[in-house]
Amino acid sequence: MKPKVAFFDFAGCEGDQLQVANLEEEILNLLAQVKVVSFREVMKEHSDNYDIAFIEGSCTRLQDEDRLKQIRRNAKIVVAIGSCATIGGINCIRNYKDLDEVRRTVYGENAKLFDTYAARPIDAVIPVDAYVHGCPIDKDEFLQVVKSLLLGKKPDIPTYPVCVECKKNENICAFERGQFCVGPVTRAGCNSCCVNEGTVCWGCRGLVDNPNENAHKEVLIKYGLTVDDAIGKFRLYFGWQEGKR
Amino acid sequence: MRIISKEDFAEFVNTLIADNSWNVVGVKSKGDKFTFGPLESASELRLDYDVTLLPPKKYFFPQRETLFTYDLAGGFSAKGFTAEAKPTVIIGVHPYDIVALLHMDEIFAETKSDPYYFEKRNSSIIIGVNIQKMSKWCFAPLMGCATIDHGYDLMLTDLGNRYAINIGSQKGEELLEKHAKNVTNALARDIQLVGQKKREIMNMAQQKFDFPPELIPELLSKSYEKSAFWENHSEKCLACGSCVLVCPTCYCFDVKDNPDLSLSRGERIRTWDGCLLEDFAKIASGENFRPTKPTRYRHRYFKKGKYLFDRFGFISCVGCGRCSSNCLPDIANPVNLFNDMYHQIRDKEMLASGTASPDVKIETEGNIDYVPRLATIVKKVPMTINETLFEIRLNDGSELGHKPGQFVEISVFGIGEAPISVSSPPTKKGTFELCVRKVGNVTSKLHTLNVGDMVGVRGPFGTGFDADFLKGKDLLFVAGGLGLAPLRSLFNYVLDKREDYGRVILLYGCKEPRELLFGDELFALLKRDDVEFKPTVNWCPENEEWTGNIGVITTLIPQVDFDPEKTWAIVCGPPVMYKFVIADLKTRKVPDDHIILSLERRMKCGVGKCGHCQINQIYVCKDGPVFNYSKIKGVPEAL
Repeated sequence: MKPKVAFFDFAGCEGDQLQVANLEEEILNLLAQVKVVSFREVMKEHSDNYDIAFIEGSCTRLQDEDRLKQIRRNAKIVVAIGSCATIGGINCIRNYKDLDEVRRTVYGENAKLFDTYAARPIDAVIPVDAYVHGCPIDKDEFLQVVKSLLLGKKPDIPTYPVCVECKKNENICAFERGQFCVGPVTRAGCNSCCVNEGTVCWGCRGLVDNPNENAHKEVLIKYGLTVDDAIGKFRLYFGWQEGKR
Repeated sequence: MRIISKEDFAEFVNTLIADNSWNVVGVKSKGDKFTFGPLESASELRLDYDVTLLPPKKYFFPQRETLFTYDLAGGFSAKGFTAEAKPTVIIGVHPYDIVALLHMDEIFAETKSDPYYFEKRNSSIIIGVNIQKMSKWCFAPLMGCATIDHGYDLMLTDLGNRYAINIGSQKGEELLEKHAKNVTNALARDIQLVGQKKREIMNMAQQKFDFPPELIPELLSKSYEKSAFWENHSEKCLACGSCVLVCPTCYCFDVKDNPDLSLSRGERIRTWDGCLLEDFAKIASGENFRPTKPTRYRHRYFKKGKYLFDRFGFISCVGCGRCSSNCLPDIANPVNLFNDMYHQIRDKEMLASGTASPDVKIETEGNIDYVPRLATIVKKVPMTINETLFEIRLNDGSELGHKPGQFVEISVFGIGEAPISVSSPPTKKGTFELCVRKVGNVTSKLHTLNVGDMVGVRGPFGTGFDADFLKGKDLLFVAGGLGLAPLRSLFNYVLDKREDYGRVILLYGCKEPRELLFGDELFALLKRDDVEFKPTVNWCPENEEWTGNIGVITTLIPQVDFDPEKTWAIVCGPPVMYKFVIADLKTRKVPDDHIILSLERRMKCGVGKCGHCQINQIYVCKDGPVFNYSKIKGVPEAL
C-alpha cells in the first residue's frame, strides 16, 4: 500500500509547497509511490489519515502548537520543509524586535486581537524526523528526501558548508567579487545555487552543525563589512539558531 | 623541439575541435579568473593565465561520477564501468598540474588500479604550457614543479609570435604531424630562448620558504605532538574544505547510492570528499575518529608532506597555491605553516640531513571492481535486539575465499554499502556469515531483508589473521561486544583445526546478558576440555539471569593463567577497550608483538583509495583491519 502523505502550512509564504506543486513530470512518478491525502494548495479533499506529514512555515503563536501536536500524533513521520519550518527562517528577524511593536506595525490598532510569540522552527514544538532545508526548497532535494524516507533511509543532508559546492562548481568566490557571503557557515545541499547565478549565499539552509561563527565574522569584517552589517548578515536566517528566542 | 606560429597553432586547435573524435578542452577566462572548459574556438584559449580555479584532474576524477547503475526489478542486474566515448585533449596545463597528475597516477594505481580514472587518463592528450604569469600564492618553483620535462604529450613555450613545442610522447608527435601545419624544427636560438624562459620561471615565485622544502617530511615528524601549534593555526578554520577541494593532488571520495523515483533503479556514485570536513572519519555508530578541527587540519599537512611521502616517495604538494588563495581566513598557505613550523624547531642541526626518500615500490594487481557480486541471504538468525546473523551465498556459486579477519563491503542497493567483518571461518564452505549490528542506514535496511532477498558483496578485503603463523601457539582471544564477530572467523577456524594449535582461551564481555552474541555456541564450549571460555557482563539488570563474572572485560584477564612467551593475544572490541586490555596484557608480560588487534574505521572503498579509514599513514581497509600491536603502537591515531 502506498504511504499517505499530507501537507500543512504555518507562518510562511507557501513557496515550498509551490515547489512541490511545480514538480512537473516528476509529480507523476512521485504519485506512483505515495498517495496525497491533504494538500491545500492543489486539492480540496482533506484527510487526517496520513503516514508522512510535510510541514511548511514557522510556529509564531502559542495556539498553533496544538495543531502541530495533533499532526505529530497523526503522522508516523514528520518532515519540516523550507527555512521557516526547519530553522525558523526570516520570521525570526522579528525576534530581535519588541513583539508588541511588531504587532502594531503589522496590524495597526487591531494589534491586540492578534496573539504572537517569538517565531520558531517546527522542531522547537514537536519532534521532527527529517528536514528539507532552503528558501524555497529545492525540488530535487525534496525528491531525494522523499525517496530516502520511502526506502527507510536517513536522508543524506550535508553537514558541510556551501563552500564545498562552490568549489566543485568552480564558482568565483563571492568575496573575491567584492560581495559578502555566509556560505562558509551555511549548510550545503543547494548545490550553491545562488552563487552559481552570480549572487551570494544568504544562509537560507541555516548554520552547519558546528559553525565557526567568530572566524567567519572576522572574515566579513576583514573584507570590509562593518560589524553591524556582519551581524545583520547572520540575523537574516540564523536568528533562532543564534539563540534569539 | 618544434616551432609553430601562433596563427598556425590556433588553426591546429580549431582543427582538433572540428574533428569530432576528441573532447577539446582548454584554459578559458571566467570573470577575472580562469578555468578548464570545453573549447568552441581557439580564440577562447588563455594560455597566459596564472592559475585555474580547479585543476585538470576533474577530467579524470570528476566531481561526481557514476560507478554503476542497478535495476532491482526483473532479474536484478548491476551494470558497471563503460568506456567513455571520446578521449580528451587538454590544452594549457601548467607543469605543476602535470606533476600532480603523475602523483594521482601512482595513487590510483597502487595495489589495485582504478579503471574509471585510467580509462580517461590513458586516452587523453595533455598539451602543457610553460608558466607565463604566476599567481602571488604560487610556490611551484620552490617545490621543483614549475617546469617539467616529461608527463605531457606536447609542451608549449610562448616565444612572442610563436610557440616552441617540446614533444613528450609519440601520441603528441602524431597529433601534431596529422593536424598541425607549418611546423618547423627549432633553431638553436629558440632552444636557448626556451631555456631562458624556464630559468625566469624559477624566479617568479613571490612565496618563500625559510628552509629547504625537502625538509618538510622531517619537520612534520618533529611537530605531530605540538598540539598548541595545531590549535593556533586551525583556530580560524571554517571546516569548509576549500583547501582540499581545489587541490590537484587530493583524491579522497565518498560513495553513495542515488535511487530514482521508481525506487528499484538507480546508480552508485562517487563524489569528491575532503579530510577537512567534519564527518570525514565518522562511522555509522556515530564515532568520529578525527573529531576535532586541529586534528583534521593537521591531517591534511601530514597527508601531503609525510604520509604520501612515506608511501610513494614524493611530497604531495606541487606548490600551485590554490589552497592558499581559496582560504578565506588565510590559514591554508603551506608556506606560512611550514615556515612557522621550522622557526619553532629550536635545534635546527637535527634537521640538517633531511629525510631520505623512502625506497618505494608500487605494486598493482588487477583493477578495483566497484560493482558488487550478487548474493542471496539464505539464513537470518536474530541474536539480540540489534544484532542478526546473516548467512549469505554468492549467486555465482563461488566461495567468498576469505581469510579469518577479513571483511566485505555489503550493499543494499538504493541505500549504500557498509564494511562488515566475516564471522564464519574459511572452513565453512558454500556460504559465509555476517553478524550485523543495526546501526546505520545500510545495516538497518539489511535487518528488514529476508531469506531469499538479494544483496551485493565486494571483497574480501584487508589483511586478516595469519592463521598459519599462529599454528602451534597458545591463543588468548579477548572479545568485547560485537568484537566477537571478526574474532569468531579465526576462533572457529582454530576449533576446526584444533590439533594445529596450542591452548585456546576465549574471554568475552558484553554490556549485559541479553546482549551476548552466539550464546548457544559459546556455552557449548564450557563442555569442551580443549577450550577455556570465560564470559563476563558489565552489569546484570534484575530481570535478567547471569551466573558468571560481572565486570568489564579486563576483570577476566587476571582469572586466566597463561605463559606470555607462548601466548598470542587476539583482541577485538569497541575502540575504548583496546588501551585497557593492552595495558593489562602488558602487565602480564605479554610481548607487544604477541598482541594482534582488529580495528574498526570508516572503510568505504576497501582498497586504500577513498581516504576515509586512514589512521596516520595507514589505510585500515588495506593495511588492516588486523594489525600486530608492535606495528601500530607508535601510530597516534590508531588506539
